[in-house]
Amino acid sequence: MLRSQRTEALYALLFLAPFLIHLGIFFVFAFVRTVGFSFTDATLIGQSSRFVGFSNFVELFREPRFLAALTHSISFMLVVTTLQTLLALALAAVLNQRLRGITFFRTVYYIPSVLSSAAVTVIAIWFFQKTGFLNTFIGYIGSVAPVLLAFGGLFVLAQAVQVGWERWRGVPVPWLDPALATISLVVALALTWGLVGLGVVRPLEARPPEFTWLTNPDRFLGIPIPLWSIVILNTFTTIPTLMLIFLAGLQDIPRSLYEAASIDGATPLQQFFSVTVPMLRPVTFLVITLSLIGTLQMFDQVALMGDAAPLDSIIVLAYYVYNNVFSGEGKVGLASAAALILAGLTFAIVLLQRALGISEKAH
Amino acid sequence: MATKAIRPVRKLDERHLARQRWARAGWVYGAMLALAVFFIGPFYVAFLGSLKDNPLEWPFRYSFAQTQPKNWAAAWRLGQLGAGNPWTGGFAPGAEIPFQISYFLEEGQEPEPPTVTVPTRRAGAGLGAIFDEVQAAQYAQVSEVQEVSRRPAVVGGQPGQIVTYAFTIRYPKGDAAANQPTIPRLPLDVEAPRGQQYYAATLDPNRLERRGRVASWDSVTPGFFGYVFRNYVRVFNEARDPNTGASFFLRWTANSFFVSLAVVLTTLLFASLGGYALARMYLPGKNYLFAFIVFTMTVPSQATFISNYLVLRDLGLLGSLWGMIVWSAVGAGAVFIMKQFFESIPREIEEAALMDGATPVTTFFRIILPIATPALGALTILTFQGMWNEFFKAAVVLSGQQASYTLPLGLSFFRSAYGVAGDWGLMLASAFLSMIPIIILFVVFQRYFVEGVSTSALKG
Repeated sequence: MLRSQRTEALYALLFLAPFLIHLGIFFVFAFVRTVGFSFTDATLIGQSSRFVGFSNFVELFREPRFLAALTHSISFMLVVTTLQTLLALALAAVLNQRLRGITFFRTVYYIPSVLSSAAVTVIAIWFFQKTGFLNTFIGYIGSVAPVLLAFGGLFVLAQAVQVGWERWRGVPVPWLDPALATISLVVALALTWGLVGLGVVRPLEARPPEFTWLTNPDRFLGIPIPLWSIVILNTFTTIPTLMLIFLAGLQDIPRSLYEAASIDGATPLQQFFSVTVPMLRPVTFLVITLSLIGTLQMFDQVALMGDAAPLDSIIVLAYYVYNNVFSGEGKVGLASAAALILAGLTFAIVLLQRALGISEKAH
Repeated sequence: MATKAIRPVRKLDERHLARQRWARAGWVYGAMLALAVFFIGPFYVAFLGSLKDNPLEWPFRYSFAQTQPKNWAAAWRLGQLGAGNPWTGGFAPGAEIPFQISYFLEEGQEPEPPTVTVPTRRAGAGLGAIFDEVQAAQYAQVSEVQEVSRRPAVVGGQPGQIVTYAFTIRYPKGDAAANQPTIPRLPLDVEAPRGQQYYAATLDPNRLERRGRVASWDSVTPGFFGYVFRNYVRVFNEARDPNTGASFFLRWTANSFFVSLAVVLTTLLFASLGGYALARMYLPGKNYLFAFIVFTMTVPSQATFISNYLVLRDLGLLGSLWGMIVWSAVGAGAVFIMKQFFESIPREIEEAALMDGATPVTTFFRIILPIATPALGALTILTFQGMWNEFFKAAVVLSGQQASYTLPLGLSFFRSAYGVAGDWGLMLASAFLSMIPIIILFVVFQRYFVEGVSTSALKG
């Protein structure tokens, strides 16, 4: 090694020293120690501990609460990732327009992601109360359903009549022609207003809400209702981040591809499925991976729900680990084993993604 | 003839296309607005809820006492009368507060004056109930209730009359006026005899009970903030340390600032040093090291926190803000961002400095860091936001030490302290208060937030 190279390497180590020391203590040592703990019966208060082999892992799979946490974590991960990815992609496709004031809208949509999950969760718990806003809103929609249905029907009717008329005259307008849809909108609004005024269509009487979100013992699609409320909350707060990543990806797709497609006569929907989706594949995989890892490790929202919802209906792996260390005698051994299973699941996802041949580099 | 027939069709077509373009833009903007309502709406209704006396009232009202200018003006004026303080009000010696209340009586009922009392009332549920405070009931004197006017009216389809009563609440100045305290609140209960129904008052009451016969106020001299932002004022006044009496919320805010700023400083320094070494310096096995750093970012913090908890315990840093700072001093993600940035600047700049014989240390601090200002700015904002919102580490390090909580942990403490009583006004208000710094930061530097996400995620 050249002398100058040695000096440079020394300087590099010096520069990296604070970070490496920090990483050494708070990551490497901590991780090795967790592996060590997982084979012992260590507790937070006990002084000595014994080597117990794999019995912690065996015990975990006998404990109903751990099994609940595991199934909740996995189903939460799958449901939220699906919802988030689809909605974020749809949003990004809508937002990927050349319009004045688009930056303003992007900023506004991003707000839920910036705020602290603690504050947002507190607000969400209020939202999910029995007489909270969500139930009030659902009840309101239910009570005005006749009006909304009448409006929707009139809109479709008006649009069909107009498009039919234009086509009969020989003008080739699409079914969703925006100009005609505007006229249909005005017509439908006026007619609905008239029908409500005449009392032909009436909103139903609003009833006090009866559905509970956070204390509901029922399940929907095998997932407890309280966990569904966390699903809704988590999807709502993380969509904007994923949407921004999609947007960045969308803007990297060359315009010429779309121009070529439209010259070949592809409709917007065809363009979306044969240009946008394939070009976005690397970004989509990145988003899915981020989302899988993020949802698997979700902790704050469960911890903040606290006693608002029964623990067994919302517990996830990350919270299970925390709860085992900081409640009762502090089962460090058992919690470490659970933490390793959580880490193992995360690695499995990363490895799966690698195996599918998509590197972390999108470009 | 043929050309004449074709021409008008073409013209129509062009106009039609223009109309379609305009209409499409309209629909797109409409969709965007609808989405904006979807993302902001929940926060807007929650904010309305935080102003209400009962945020869980059903049906939900968008317009209520606290949103009406009439009450703003009255609260301002009464605060002025009560303690010379139009913002937060109070009840000071020498105060004289005229008050009017109207009741609706159905036809055939004889009006009877209501009973007016200044009750002894605890500040609130949760922590607020712990403290003994000076009660206005000890000092306030209520004058006789007098009927002022009657007028016929139809309310809810029922013919009848509206009767208005007036009374005055005084805080007489004694001989030793210096010993008389200024009292923060002047609660009031007005109970009307059977058959009368509350109709209106100088200031709308906080609660109506027994079918509108009993109206009660938390304070009839609240001042503007004390009335409209009642729950926000309560966050500061009621949630206090039982031992020292210091406001918890102020303490937590200060703690959050301290931790966030300290971590921003350590991160800026250590991450730029580390990132520079990884990006530019010669180090055998550098690529393996970098791969390892990327790997650490995917490991859940639950897999490492037990040992970190024990390490901090052995260092005596548990329950202390320093414990949080030490644990978060520099993150792999920050080093990663800085490395990406340093790789993007041209090498010639440092080569020139090296030629001149500068050591790597001087080159770094004199030449590289000044160039890195944009990246450091983005890192500052992302780190600050991350630390301000950090919940897991706070829950591990600070648990049980209320005085050293940061805001997110404080919110969860409020949740358990006030959640049982269902005191949602205070919880919602504290949630909104805790967001203010991040909202300001976001409004000013939103570009960095937005770019930060897409660059750090995409260039990875």
